[in-house]
Amino acid sequence: MNRATLPGLAERLVEDAALGWRLQFAFGGLHPDAALPLLGAHGAEGAVARVAAAGARRARSRDAVKVPAVERAGQLAGLGIEVVFRGDDAYPARLADRQGAPDLLFVLGSWPAGPAAAVVGTRRCSSYGRNLATAYGQAIANAGWVLISGLARGIDGAAHRGTVAVGGSGVAVLGCGLDIAYPREHATLRDQLLESGGAIVSEYPPGTPPEAWRFPPRNRIISGAAQAVVVVEAAIKGGALITANTALDQGVPVFATPGDVGKASAAGCNHLIRDGAHPVLDPSDLIAELELILGPPRQTRDAQNEWAWEGISVERMAVSHAMTIAEAAATLSRAELAGAVVRHGDRYYPAPGAGR
Amino acid sequence: MFAKVTSVALVGVDPQPVDVEVHVTNGRSVFTIVGLPDTAVREAKERVRAAFRNSGLHFPGGTVVVNLSPADLPKAGSAYDLPIALGLLAAIDDKHAAAARVVALGELGLDGALRHIRGGFGAALLGRRLGLPVVLPAEAAADAAVLEGAEVFGAGTLGEAIQVGLGRGVPAAPRTASGESPGPDLAEVRGQGGARRALEIAAAGGHHILMSGPPGVGKTLLARCMPSLLPALSPEDQLEVALAWAAAGLSRFGMLAPPFRSPHHSATLPALIGGGSGVPVPGEVTLAHRGVLFLDELGEFPAPLIDSLRQPIEDGHVVVARKGSTITYPSAVQLIAATNPCPCGFLDDGGQLCICSQRAIDRYRSRMSGPFLDRFDLRIHLSRVAHDRLAGPPGEPSSTVRARVIAARKRQQARGSLNSKLARAEIDELAWEDAAVRRLDEAVDVNRLSPRGWERVRRVAATIADLDESTVIADGHVSEALAYRVT
Repeated sequence: MNRATLPGLAERLVEDAALGWRLQFAFGGLHPDAALPLLGAHGAEGAVARVAAAGARRARSRDAVKVPAVERAGQLAGLGIEVVFRGDDAYPARLADRQGAPDLLFVLGSWPAGPAAAVVGTRRCSSYGRNLATAYGQAIANAGWVLISGLARGIDGAAHRGTVAVGGSGVAVLGCGLDIAYPREHATLRDQLLESGGAIVSEYPPGTPPEAWRFPPRNRIISGAAQAVVVVEAAIKGGALITANTALDQGVPVFATPGDVGKASAAGCNHLIRDGAHPVLDPSDLIAELELILGPPRQTRDAQNEWAWEGISVERMAVSHAMTIAEAAATLSRAELAGAVVRHGDRYYPAPGAGR
Repeated sequence: MFAKVTSVALVGVDPQPVDVEVHVTNGRSVFTIVGLPDTAVREAKERVRAAFRNSGLHFPGGTVVVNLSPADLPKAGSAYDLPIALGLLAAIDDKHAAAARVVALGELGLDGALRHIRGGFGAALLGRRLGLPVVLPAEAAADAAVLEGAEVFGAGTLGEAIQVGLGRGVPAAPRTASGESPGPDLAEVRGQGGARRALEIAAAGGHHILMSGPPGVGKTLLARCMPSLLPALSPEDQLEVALAWAAAGLSRFGMLAPPFRSPHHSATLPALIGGGSGVPVPGEVTLAHRGVLFLDELGEFPAPLIDSLRQPIEDGHVVVARKGSTITYPSAVQLIAATNPCPCGFLDDGGQLCICSQRAIDRYRSRMSGPFLDRFDLRIHLSRVAHDRLAGPPGEPSSTVRARVIAARKRQQARGSLNSKLARAEIDELAWEDAAVRRLDEAVDVNRLSPRGWERVRRVAATIADLDESTVIADGHVSEALAYRVT
């Protein structure tokens, strides 16, 4: 990471002892709303003792909460993980206003600035859903907005892929510790996400294993940080619907893609639409709808890197750089070998994180 | 009383002489044909008998025996009617003995009229070899008369055919080459500069090329332009092509443009590679000999059909096994294939969304077997982009491109053979610059190239260097070649 994170955190802990307790409580799996009154009544040592004895039920948490904050800061430094407290400037402003928002977030990379939209859906998606999610991810990135999703299998991963494919930035909110590569097949995608200037965040401290019950709460971060939630494919029961319902509770507009009536993987979206979610049909339709909420797409394109979004064909390269087709083809091939561009079909796109 | 007339049987595309021997003796009134005739040949006796009567000739009483020799060569079809009739006439009447000194082929109508048959071109070739005049039905004669050095006579009736051997025939006028066109011109293709270039390279090196892309990007049009980029057929090639076509009953001689065949994906196996029940006929792969075989919608071809093409394309000939014999047809073709990337066609398209399930895509791809795809030196992807079409300068006409192709082919022929036909050791011996070798190594290192792909890219790079009139194969040539290998 380019920012010197650890001296920052260590210094802050020295300056503000409360931050240290908040960090310790987070490691103990306890929200400070519950812990801070204890802190007031019993003092630091007493609070930790009481939390260790009663507040945290499980042995792991009991031991975890006792580890001093400074030691934690050292561990996080080793992992390259930053901590952003609620109330910090770096904490996503929209999320900070939400009730029940996490007290602090563990962050890899840096949370990109700008309006954000979430794309969520089922893990067991059809290729139709996967393609659509990728297209949405691309469209959102091309508009210069931030894409938030959960890096899960299926729709989430496809949306992230669409974003990184066109060099956009995104945020993945995990339901486990940041040091755990879950799901394992998305390890490369994680790296690409970070390389393209995105962030991977979690409210859970490093070392937290992925457990089913941790995922619904993380969905409130996805919907809370986004200005709109787009559901691509979802069954009636599932994480995507939890996110959508949380979003509705939080007053975040929800969009859903209609599907076949009677098809289980479309039922969630169809129900959302019946209950008042905005139907969206295709990527351009989505962008048109989102513009009303997120504002006009950022003009991140300039003539120089216009092709970053559309890709460049050998022919276009030849015309725009006054080369022969042969030279253009050779140039693009060399760039591909060097890892600067990637090819999809007959077009070349800037490789994710290749110094744009 | 005995007479002998020479006729022809096609073995594969090769015309073999068949002696039609006729023997007439006194005795029971019997007409027998021996020498492995098929039903159509056996029925000749009825046609010959009627044609004789209706031409005002006397059909002999007594025993008539016709032997088709060599006896072990299967003879089929109605084309032996005319030689049998001529032989019979010569056998019964010394005045007409000269009528048998011809190479004859033709079907007789009951009224004595001569009807069109296939294989006339083979008869002309045989006549030239044996120094005999050739008698054919008028239409077949016009096709065959194109062959230089052959004395070809056309006849409308049995009566006219008799006159030929007696020296009173009228030489057939060669059919004038109809306004042939080598297909569309490359100038008609707007944009798609990368694909045009790849096509030029394919033409220059004789490389097989696979184009994938959504419907409507111009894959078919590009493929149809291919014959216009290739050098004209040499006289020997023209003869080979004409023989192959004659075996299928088609006429194609004096045409300079390489043939272009585009079988539909519903074609049967015999229609594609040759054979079939009864008389074996050459398939599309043989009709495309010395030319272009274009497989449009490759993904729609059934897998067995595609696999059956592998050996003919690799070997340049196709062997059709028949009961008791095998027949070899030539099949030296340049292969062009076009395919959608997936069943709906829009995978990897910039604009439209692909609606195929991953399973459907996998199934579609698995039809095109890996070993078959490996035959393609060039594999390119085309996409529909409005700006690409409009951005390009107006396309170069085929004639300009063909000039470069011919120059590049001359360089290759000076070395030996086309780059696509070079053996691996021969490629090693080409003049590789160090930087080019390093570039290839780099491509393998970053997993951009499989060992097989490495081999293919080297051939293509050699052709690019030839087009570039370069004596060495440089980094730029290799780099460009890599661009035409979509994985």
